[in-house]
Amino acid sequence: MSVHMTRLSIVPARRVAIGRALGLLVAVMIVGITLAAMGRPPLELLTLILRSTVGSRFGIEDLALFMTPLMLTGAAVWVGVRVGLWNIGAEGQFYAGAVAASAIGLFGTMPAIVEIPLMAVGGILAGMVWIALPAAARAWLGVSEIVTTLLLNFVASLIVFYLATGPWADHVTGALASTERLRVGLPEVWGAVHIGFFLSLLAVIALAAFLSRSRFGYESAVVGANPEAARYAGMAVSRNVLIVLLLSGGLAGLAGMIEVSGTVHRLQGGLANNYGYLGIVVAILARRSCLALIPAALLMGFILDTGIVLQTAQISASAVLAITGLVMMAIAVGDELSAYARPAIQPKTSGQTS
Amino acid sequence: MTALLTRRATLLGAGGLAALRPAAASALRPIREQDALIAFGHTGPVTDGGWTHQHDLGVEAVRAAFPRLKTIFVESIPYSADATRIFRQFVAEGAQMVMATSNYGDFIRDVADRAPEVAFMECDGRNVSGNLGWYYITHWYASYIIGIAAGLLSKSGRLGYVASFPISSVYAGANATLLGAQSVNPNATMQVISINAWFDPQGANQAGAALVDSGCDFLCGIMDEPAYLRVAQERHVWAAMWNTDMRRFGPDAYVSSVTLDFAPYYVQQIGDRLRGTWRPDAHFLTLGHGVDRDAWGRNVPESVRMQADAARTKMLAGWSPFVGPIHDASGRMRVAPGQTMDDMALYSWDWPLRGVSGLA
Amino acid sequence: MLETPPDPATRPAGLAPGVPALLGLRGIAKYFPGVIANEDVSLDVYAGEIHALLGENGAGKSTLMNVVTGLYQPDAGELILDGYGVQFAGPDAAIAAGIGMVHQHFKLVSRFTVAENLHLGWGETPRRLSPRALEARADALSAQFGLPIRSNATVETLSAGEQQRVEILRVLSRGARLLILDEPTAVLSPVEVAELFRALRRFRDEGGAVIIISHKLDEIMSLSDRISVLRHGRLVGTHRTAETTIPDLVTEMIGRPATLDESYPRSVPRDMAAATPMVLHGVSARDDRDVIRLHPLDLELRAGEVLGVAGVTGNGQPELGELLTGLRAPSGGMITLNGRDVTGASARVFSHNGVGHVPEDRLRHALAPSLSVADNAVLREYDRPPVGGGGRFSATQAADFARTLAERARVMLPGVHVAIRALSGGNQQRLVLEREIRIASAVLVASYPSRGLDIGAIAAMRAMLAQARDRGVAVVLMSEDLDEIFALSDRIAVLCAGRLMAVIDRSEADRDRIGALMSGRTEGSVAA
Repeated sequence: MSVHMTRLSIVPARRVAIGRALGLLVAVMIVGITLAAMGRPPLELLTLILRSTVGSRFGIEDLALFMTPLMLTGAAVWVGVRVGLWNIGAEGQFYAGAVAASAIGLFGTMPAIVEIPLMAVGGILAGMVWIALPAAARAWLGVSEIVTTLLLNFVASLIVFYLATGPWADHVTGALASTERLRVGLPEVWGAVHIGFFLSLLAVIALAAFLSRSRFGYESAVVGANPEAARYAGMAVSRNVLIVLLLSGGLAGLAGMIEVSGTVHRLQGGLANNYGYLGIVVAILARRSCLALIPAALLMGFILDTGIVLQTAQISASAVLAITGLVMMAIAVGDELSAYARPAIQPKTSGQTS
Repeated sequence: MTALLTRRATLLGAGGLAALRPAAASALRPIREQDALIAFGHTGPVTDGGWTHQHDLGVEAVRAAFPRLKTIFVESIPYSADATRIFRQFVAEGAQMVMATSNYGDFIRDVADRAPEVAFMECDGRNVSGNLGWYYITHWYASYIIGIAAGLLSKSGRLGYVASFPISSVYAGANATLLGAQSVNPNATMQVISINAWFDPQGANQAGAALVDSGCDFLCGIMDEPAYLRVAQERHVWAAMWNTDMRRFGPDAYVSSVTLDFAPYYVQQIGDRLRGTWRPDAHFLTLGHGVDRDAWGRNVPESVRMQADAARTKMLAGWSPFVGPIHDASGRMRVAPGQTMDDMALYSWDWPLRGVSGLA
Repeated sequence: MLETPPDPATRPAGLAPGVPALLGLRGIAKYFPGVIANEDVSLDVYAGEIHALLGENGAGKSTLMNVVTGLYQPDAGELILDGYGVQFAGPDAAIAAGIGMVHQHFKLVSRFTVAENLHLGWGETPRRLSPRALEARADALSAQFGLPIRSNATVETLSAGEQQRVEILRVLSRGARLLILDEPTAVLSPVEVAELFRALRRFRDEGGAVIIISHKLDEIMSLSDRISVLRHGRLVGTHRTAETTIPDLVTEMIGRPATLDESYPRSVPRDMAAATPMVLHGVSARDDRDVIRLHPLDLELRAGEVLGVAGVTGNGQPELGELLTGLRAPSGGMITLNGRDVTGASARVFSHNGVGHVPEDRLRHALAPSLSVADNAVLREYDRPPVGGGGRFSATQAADFARTLAERARVMLPGVHVAIRALSGGNQQRLVLEREIRIASAVLVASYPSRGLDIGAIAAMRAMLAQARDRGVAVVLMSEDLDEIFALSDRIAVLCAGRLMAVIDRSEADRDRIGALMSGRTEGSVAA
C-alpha cells in the first residue's frame, strides 16, 4: 500500500527544527563524503572547524563579531518580510549608516560618551534617509521596493569607495580604500567582542517586544497580512508601509554604525562584507519569529566562520561557496519537507472546511 | 644579502615613520624546519596569472628550499573584517610566520599585536612593530623604463592607465611611466581610469576600450590579469603590463611588463625566521633584485629597446630619474630643481604628475 | 477496506439495466492531519443526468470534487471511468478524460478577450492565429454548445453571468463529458440563472453529465435528476429528485430537521418616528477611472429598522456599502452620522461612531486570514482599552477578548492563536458579525452575509441581525436572496445600474414589484 503525504498549511516549529536538523545532517554528510573522496580526512576537518569556532575563545569571539551585524541586517530584512515588503537594500543602508557614523567619528571633537550615542543616532538616521525614497515610492506610488532598494546599494558602495579613496582617504598607513582610524570606538567587553554585540542582541529583543506589544506592531501585521482588511479597519496603510521600511533602513544603518565603530574602526570599501544580502538569508531562516533571528544569525555566522576555517585548511574559496550553498539548500529542503505529514487518521473528528 | 636592500637609513631619516619602530625588537625563537608552519594571505586568487601568482611562485620556492616545513595559504582575502578573521585563524592553527601579500592595515595589525610570538610581514605595508614588518618592490624604476618606450612608441602622445584604487602604487606607477615618456616626448599625457578592483577582467576590459576610444594608443596599468592587453591587441595599440609575462594574450601589442620575483626574498625571510634571526623591518626589493622590466615584445623596434635599456643600465648603476623640477597636475612644483625623490617618497607618492588626468 | 456500494434502487429512473456509470466512486477517502475530509464515499454519475451534491460547509463536497478532478489523490478507494479503474495524476489527466470543473471563483485573465481566454492553455489552439480567426473559432464553439458570448469583448467588461458562460464554454470545448459546477448561481441574476439552467439541460439532453454543488435547495429541486447528500465527509444518501423533499434533504444534511424562518418578529414594536442615525443627501460615487457607479441618491437609515437592499449583483451595491462605512468618499453629496457631517471622513471615524460593517467577501475585506483568531477578533477595538490605548497592544487582552467574542457568537474555538482561515466559513462569519455588532451602536451594514453559508449558519446569522435591530440599530442588509430580504426587511431599497429605483415599505412590497424594479423598470411603468 502506498503512503500518502499531505502538506500542512501551518507547520509546527518543532517539525521545522527537526526538518532543518536532518537537512543539515544530510548536507554535512555530503560534504564529508566529498572531502573524503578528495582525500581530505573529514573527521579531522570537523574537529578543526569545531575547535576554531565554538571550541575556542578565539572562535567564539569571531562568532559573536559575525553575529553582530547579521542580527541587525537580519532584523532589517525581517521587519519588512513580516509585512510582505522586501528590503534588498540593507547593504546600502548599512553603508549609509557607516558613512554617517564615520563622519562623526573622524571629524567630531566631542568626548566619546557624547559622540558614540551621536554616531548611533546618525547611523540610524542615515539608514532611514537611504531607504526614504524607495519607501515613499512604495507607500504612495506602489513602486516595487525590491528594485529601488537594490539599485541604491551600488550607489552607496561607490560613495564609500569615493570617500575612502578620495576626500577621507588615509594617507598615513596607505591602507587600501580606507579612511583613517576613527577617533572613538565602541568599548570592547570581552576580547575583541565589543558592546555592539550586546546592543544588537538587545535591539532584536526590543524589536520583538515592541512589535508584539505595540499598536504599530499590530497594525503593521494586519497591513502585511491583508491590506484590504487594514483599510476596512481604518488603518493608514501607506503610512504603515513607510514606517516599516524606515524602521528596516534604520536597523541596517545601525548595523553599519556598529560594524565601523566596533569591529573595523575605519570606513572601507568592502566594509559591508555582504552583510546586507546575508541579512536576507538570516531573515528567511528566522521565518515568523523575531527572536529566531538570534539563532539564525548564529547559524549564518557559524557557516561564514566555517568558510574561513576551511580556507585556511586549503579548501578553495569556491568550494567553500559551494558548501555554503549546499547547506542553505539543505535547510530549505528541510523546511519544505517538514510541511509534509502522514495524514493522522482520527475517526472521531468531524469533517473539515472543504 | 645582495638580493635585497634594507632601507634602514632611509626609514630613520623619514622622521615620522621612525617613531613607529619599537625601541628593541627582539628576535623570535628559532623553529625546527619540520615544526614550521608558514601562512600566506593572498589578495587575489593564486590562478590570477598576475600579482598573486607571482607570490605563489615565491611560496613554491620556499617549499623547495625547506621541503619539511608546511605552508598554508588563503586566497582572495577581502579588505574587510574577514581579513582579521583569516589572520587570526592562521595564528590559531599555529603559524609561526604570516606573510600578507597586500596592505591589510589594521586588519593585520590587530592580529599581530595579539600574537607577539608570530612574525608578520605585509607587502605594501606601512607599519613596523615588534613583530610586524613590511616589504615592497621599487616598481617605479621599471615603470620609468617602460615609460621611455611608451613615449617613443605612442604616436598620439596619449597614454592610458587602468588603475585599481587611487593609492600610492598607482600614483607611482602612472607618474613614473609618464615621466619616462616625457623624457623622450615632453608633450606626452596620461589618462587614468580606476575600476576599484585588482582583478576584474570585465571592468578592465571596459576601461581599456574607453581609453582607446578617447585617443590613447598605449595602455598600461596595474591589473592582476591581462584583460586590457587583449583590448590593445584587438584595437592595434600598444600595451605594457604588471606582474608577469603576459605576451601570449596579445603578442602584437605587448611591449613589456613590470615583472616581479619574490622567490629569493621569501626564501631568505623564512630562513631568517627558522634560524631565529628574523627581525621586523621594512624592505624594498630593488631593480634587478625582485622587480624589472620584462623581455621586450616582438614588435618593439630595436632603437626603442636600446634607448630604454640605456636608462636601465644607468639606474642599475645608481642613477635616479626622479629629480626636480617635478610639477603636479595643477602645475605646482612639488620637487625643487636638483632635489631627488628617494624611495620612501616614491613609495608614498600621492599626487598626480603634470599631464596625468583622472587621478585627484 | 469495507465499502458501501451505491444502492441500486437509486439508479436514475428509466435507465436500462447494465448501462455503466460514466464515473463511479468506490469507497473514496481523503484525510488531512486530524481530519477526515471524505471517507467511504461511493456514488455513480451517469451520462444524461444532472446530479446535485448537497452538504453543509465542511461536509467534504469540495474535497471530493478535487479528488474527482485530479487535484488530490484519494487516500483510499478508486475512481471508475466508463467501467475501468483510473488514476488521475493531476488535473490535466482528468481534463483529458473528459472531466471539467467550473470553480466558484472564475479563473479567467481579465484583460484578455473572451476568444483569447477560451484558447489559453489549450493544445488545439493553432500556433499562429489572427485575433479575427480566434474570434471566429470562439463564435463557432459558442454556437456548438448553445452558450451565447461576445468573443471580442475583454473579460473585465463582462457581467458575472457572461464570465461564467466563458468558463463553461472553455471546459466544454476541451471535450468535457462530465461538467462539475461549484455554486454556479451565487453571482447570477434570476434571468442569468434561467439561462444557465437552460444550457445545462441542453448539455444533459445531448448525453453529458453534470455535477452541481449548491446551497439553494429550490434550485436543486427544479434542476437536478438525482441528489447526493454528504455529511461529515460521508455519503448519507442518494435520491431521485422526484422522490425526495426539501425538508428530508435538510434533515439529511444537518442531521436534524431545520427550516429558515420567513419572518423575524420584533421583541419591541417598530417605532415609525425613530431617529435617523445616518442620512445620505444626494450622494454619488465614481470609481478610480472616474466612471459613475452610483447616481446621486437620498437615503435615510432609521434606528431599529432593517433596510433591505435588493438588486442584481454589481448594480452599485458595493459602492453603497463602501459609502455607508466610510471606505469610499462620495464624489458628491453629503453624509451625516448622528447629526454630524462625516462626508469624506475615514473608515475609522465611521467605526468609532458606531458603524459596523460585514463586507461581502469576509476573507478578503474583513479578516486577515493568516493572522490568529485573537488578532482578527480585535480588528475593530485594538486601539482602545482593554486591548490597546496609547501606542500599546496587549496580546493577552486580545486573547481574552477573542474568547469572550467567540462565546457570545457561540463559536467553539480550537484556540485563539490558530489562524482564522482554519475556521469554517460559518464560524468566521459569526465572529465577524459579533465583532461588528459590538461596535454597531448606530448602523450595521451587512453585505451578502449568507453567501457561502449553510442553512444552519444562515439561520444563526439572521437571528443576530434581528437582535441588533431590536436593540435599536439601523441595519442595512444587502442580499441576492429575495426571500432573505423579505424575511428581515422593514423597508426595501432597490438598486439598478447605479440608481436607487425606489425605497418601499415591506408591507407594500411583493416579489413582482421588486423584480421589475431590479430589472430597471421604473415605478411609473410598473403601474402602467
